[in-house]
Amino acid sequence: IMSGSKPDILWSPHHPDHYVICDSELGLYRIGPVGSSETKAGTLPLSEETAATLLAINSDTPYMKCVAWYPKHEPECLLAVGQANGRVVLTSLGQSHNSTCKELVGKEFVPKHARQCNTLAWNPVDSNLLAAGLDKHRADFSVLIWDISSKFSSEASVASEKIRLSSVDLDSSSVVTKPLYELGQNDACLSLCWLLRDPKLLLAGMHRNLAIFDLRNTSQKTFVNTKAIQGVTVDPHFPDRVASFFEGQVAIWDLRKFEKPVLTLTEQPKPLTKVAWCPTRNGLLATLTRDSNIIRLYDMQHTPTPIGDETEPTIIERSVQPCESQIGSFAWHPSSQNRMVVVSAANRVMTDFTVFERISLAWSSTTSLMWACGRHLYDCVEDGAEGVESVIEKDIATKMRQRAQSRYGHDTVQVWRNHLLAGGNDPQLKSLWYDLFYILLSHMKQCAEDMELKLQGNKQSVVYSGIKNIVKTSSGTKESRRCWNGSDRQTDLPRYDSEERCLALRLCGWMSRGPDIGVEVFLRSLEQDREWERAAAVALFNLDIRRAIQILNKGATAEKGDLNLNVVAMALSGYTDEKSSLWREMCSSLRLQLKNPYLCVMFAFLTSEPGAYDGVLYESSVAVRDRVAFACMFLSDAQLPRYMDKLTNEMKEAGNLEGILLTGLSKDGVDLMESHVDRTGDVQTASFCMLKGSPGEVLKDPRVQCWIENYRNLLDAWRFWHKRAEFDIYRGKLDPSSKPLAQVFVSCNFCGKSISYSCSAMPHQGRGFSQYGVSGSPTKSKVTSCPGCRKPLPRCALCLMNMGTPVSNCPGTGKSDEKVDLTRENKLAQFNNWFTWCHNCRHGGHAGHMLSWFRDHTECPVSACTCKCMQLDTTGNLVPSDSS
Amino acid sequence: MELHILEHSLKVASIEKEGIQICTHGLIKLAFLASKTRCKFFSLTETPEDYTIIVDEEGFKELPQSEHISVADATWLALNVVSGGGNASNSQPIGVTKIAKSVIAPLADHNISVFMLSTYQTDFILVRERDLPMVMHTLSSEFTLLRVVNGETFAAHDLGVTNGFVNPHVFNHFGFSVPRPIIHPLSSPSNMFCVTSLDPDTLPSVATLLMDVMFYSGGPKESGASSEDSSHIRFFSFSLIEGYISLVMDEQTTQRFPNNVLFTSASGELWKMVRIGGQPLGFDECGIVAQISEPLATADIPAYYISTFKFDHALVPEENIQSVIGALRTKSTAQ
Repeated sequence: IMSGSKPDILWSPHHPDHYVICDSELGLYRIGPVGSSETKAGTLPLSEETAATLLAINSDTPYMKCVAWYPKHEPECLLAVGQANGRVVLTSLGQSHNSTCKELVGKEFVPKHARQCNTLAWNPVDSNLLAAGLDKHRADFSVLIWDISSKFSSEASVASEKIRLSSVDLDSSSVVTKPLYELGQNDACLSLCWLLRDPKLLLAGMHRNLAIFDLRNTSQKTFVNTKAIQGVTVDPHFPDRVASFFEGQVAIWDLRKFEKPVLTLTEQPKPLTKVAWCPTRNGLLATLTRDSNIIRLYDMQHTPTPIGDETEPTIIERSVQPCESQIGSFAWHPSSQNRMVVVSAANRVMTDFTVFERISLAWSSTTSLMWACGRHLYDCVEDGAEGVESVIEKDIATKMRQRAQSRYGHDTVQVWRNHLLAGGNDPQLKSLWYDLFYILLSHMKQCAEDMELKLQGNKQSVVYSGIKNIVKTSSGTKESRRCWNGSDRQTDLPRYDSEERCLALRLCGWMSRGPDIGVEVFLRSLEQDREWERAAAVALFNLDIRRAIQILNKGATAEKGDLNLNVVAMALSGYTDEKSSLWREMCSSLRLQLKNPYLCVMFAFLTSEPGAYDGVLYESSVAVRDRVAFACMFLSDAQLPRYMDKLTNEMKEAGNLEGILLTGLSKDGVDLMESHVDRTGDVQTASFCMLKGSPGEVLKDPRVQCWIENYRNLLDAWRFWHKRAEFDIYRGKLDPSSKPLAQVFVSCNFCGKSISYSCSAMPHQGRGFSQYGVSGSPTKSKVTSCPGCRKPLPRCALCLMNMGTPVSNCPGTGKSDEKVDLTRENKLAQFNNWFTWCHNCRHGGHAGHMLSWFRDHTECPVSACTCKCMQLDTTGNLVPSDSS
Repeated sequence: MELHILEHSLKVASIEKEGIQICTHGLIKLAFLASKTRCKFFSLTETPEDYTIIVDEEGFKELPQSEHISVADATWLALNVVSGGGNASNSQPIGVTKIAKSVIAPLADHNISVFMLSTYQTDFILVRERDLPMVMHTLSSEFTLLRVVNGETFAAHDLGVTNGFVNPHVFNHFGFSVPRPIIHPLSSPSNMFCVTSLDPDTLPSVATLLMDVMFYSGGPKESGASSEDSSHIRFFSFSLIEGYISLVMDEQTTQRFPNNVLFTSASGELWKMVRIGGQPLGFDECGIVAQISEPLATADIPAYYISTFKFDHALVPEENIQSVIGALRTKSTAQ
């Protein structure tokens, strides 16, 4: 009549592949790999890899309420079953009849008054002791500890105790009615576990309290009133930690501080049915609630020691779903890592399940990546040793680090050179730094030449606003049809000119200052760089076909030149503007086979209808600056802005830095840079680039501030402190608003004034002495006194000399000849002489002395002060990894 | 020793036999479908006169209003004695005998009316809620008083009601306690009773049988049996208190249950009943329980005690019934 019996699972304490399921009967299973030779028909798949075989069934013990597996090796597979009437029966499964447990099997332990047996627990050390927790019966005891080796009660003792056993019991003489210990009078016991720290201690969940019984003194008990009295279980990795539960809430107890739970876990809406510590993993608790198909896991691995109430421990909570159906029970495997078997609430469907360990992952500030999974720790470093050209591009962090060391971004004169500092192999960076170079050059010239160009709007920032904006406003665009250079042949190509277009061409680098100088300077620099095809194309677009041919010839004959350029030159020389000529027909089709994009666009240009230059404008292999310059010459006022908008959007979307030419250092430019940073993570380039922008506008953008702060943090993380200081100085020059105000002052103990500022209000003391020819540097003798009140400054705790540094003197008050030989070293006070003090104990002295003291000591140099000053400074023991 | 003042606010009601059918829906729900109600304390006792229901406020909502139901006007609180685990003696007498001297007599001396309910698991002493301060004052010297609030126990403090109360304990001029005479007539039915329980999980399997026993006992079969033996009494008690089931029924009724469902104690005791009262006892008279339990305690005879709306019932071991009757008769005739 067993109704609604909840299934449970027990792993064999000694056979890692045996487990028992108990519901209305006991079933012994062996788990093994699926498809192994042992598996036969009738095995139950538990997972993709494992299957179970039913070895034995035992249905001798009806009314099962709880089962516990004998903990010792021998006899194996001995189970204690607690029944609804409180009797505890020893039984076995799958054992031959002459096995060692034969004399124990069938033994019954009968309480005086019948009531449900709620829980059983074998003593882990003295395995003859079996504790049974029973429901309440009036004044009777609810915790009975049976000795399974005890002799059967004799007839005499039965009679004397007025025990009326049923006829069956009398037949079998295997009934024990006298427990070794009786505990918990007049109470009910819901759960039990033996404490690992002392096998004489038994923890019991009683009716309204948790009690610890000591078998050495059963009249005493330690107890705490609580509702969380179900399922008490000791953490196998932490013998003082115990979990218990009540309805939907788990309480975690520390036996050393037993007055109240050290923490309670978030309450579940449904009552809990099982709570179990993972035996193979520290601090992992699994819980199951009624009618649920998930197991909730609580990771208490990083919980600080639960002594003291100050720190609320952190717990990571997550859920796993081992199977689709509702879970009846689960059991952790005793040795296999994070593994459990789950049995469904109905139909005894079993699942073998391993809880996948959370992966925690951390990037280092350099390129290595580390992650931990289970008991494994993986370190992933960037491939490619120094000097070996890797096929894979280097990580941006590596690049930025190298670039920071090569002072990338710091060339403020020849700005374009920064791309060389960056390694000189990134075309986008090259384009960017040339753009910035031309922008700054134009800006400087513009300022210097006293606004020679009478452009509308904000003259200061127009060069920063990018070609897209520059050419948007057109003032008197002139259309002209010019002759081919060196030929009187008239072209019908309309060419456009305006002040804005001229500025744009200069920003593209095509044109030097002044319309007369033209493109020749640019062509020569291209020839120097052996960019023959590009030079030829630029010459051609400037309608100088002869120059183009000449350049190609030069390229063919130059050292390691490409002889094919001669062939191209030949083809070029045959140019005719006859619309239906064979030349035109062949060139427009064969040009696509030319590998070099510049050669390709040259023929595209020559074979295009006037005003329809898509072959040139949308050839993405051609540098943006060249296409933009081309567009400024050959597109009408109607066409040009449309093309610019289109190209700008393309660049912004791709985060292509060449687009900075179009956007300038405007909001558009920040948008473009944003998508570049999103793509590459290169906050270094972003920071340096935006610092070049006109102050105010773009620098106020929170994105820009974010890049700059991140770059500074990166430098700090790499311990590039000198680089970071350098960057801050550089930033302060370009963006004065970023300079932080001084926040720390050294004030005089006597007058209370800052020793660095009060001097400015006072005439310098030294002057008077030097007038009287006092030997030695007067400023030097004075640095140790307050410039305000002339009282001595504090003494260094080590050398006992008064402190003071020349920096506390105001610049300009010293003698003029002293200024002359101020080398970099002397200009600032030697770091060794700096004031330094501990924020904790307030003792201090010269920085150099303090540093050398703490190289050998941990405590403060002031006697009787035990402050561990240097250990309080988390970065105090680090050394910078850059050299300044 | 601890005295727990439980948190249930209880009502005591009587349902007339002819009115039982209008209540069966609620009663079945309270007895067998505990998860459908928030009731934590339910007891039903059938006597030849009526059905006595003891139920908490949540459970009381399940009962209809009807002229067949009389409700005692007070709200009652249940007290429960818990002896600490430190008590080494395990040969304590069972039931009211254990608490006769420590609880019942002092309350009687202070004119506090009690209503008793013994179950398989424990004894509940019901007192009127309004008497609680006096109860606490009376028992605070003997017991650690604990109040159960929301399932957890807290120390209950004596409410400091000493002032104004005179100690009504009756002393003669020699300073000895005057023996309590037995006032009400006693009778002892012939049938023998079992106090038992069962696993709540098996309750559904015997629910129809229990319903039959509870509600259909007045059938012709039963009346035929009672005519054979005029001193045979119809008495059945079912309680479901905080998840624990307790049953009191006569030996014949236990025969109807399948084997191994009922918890029969290893000693398999059978009990005989002493019925107290010729006229309905009412709720105001105090000292009735004390009159019976004190002599039993003196003789160290275990006993259960179940009060119903009209009469009280004590259960004593069958082998002791003659000596009990003798002792109690002596006391009543001595008056």
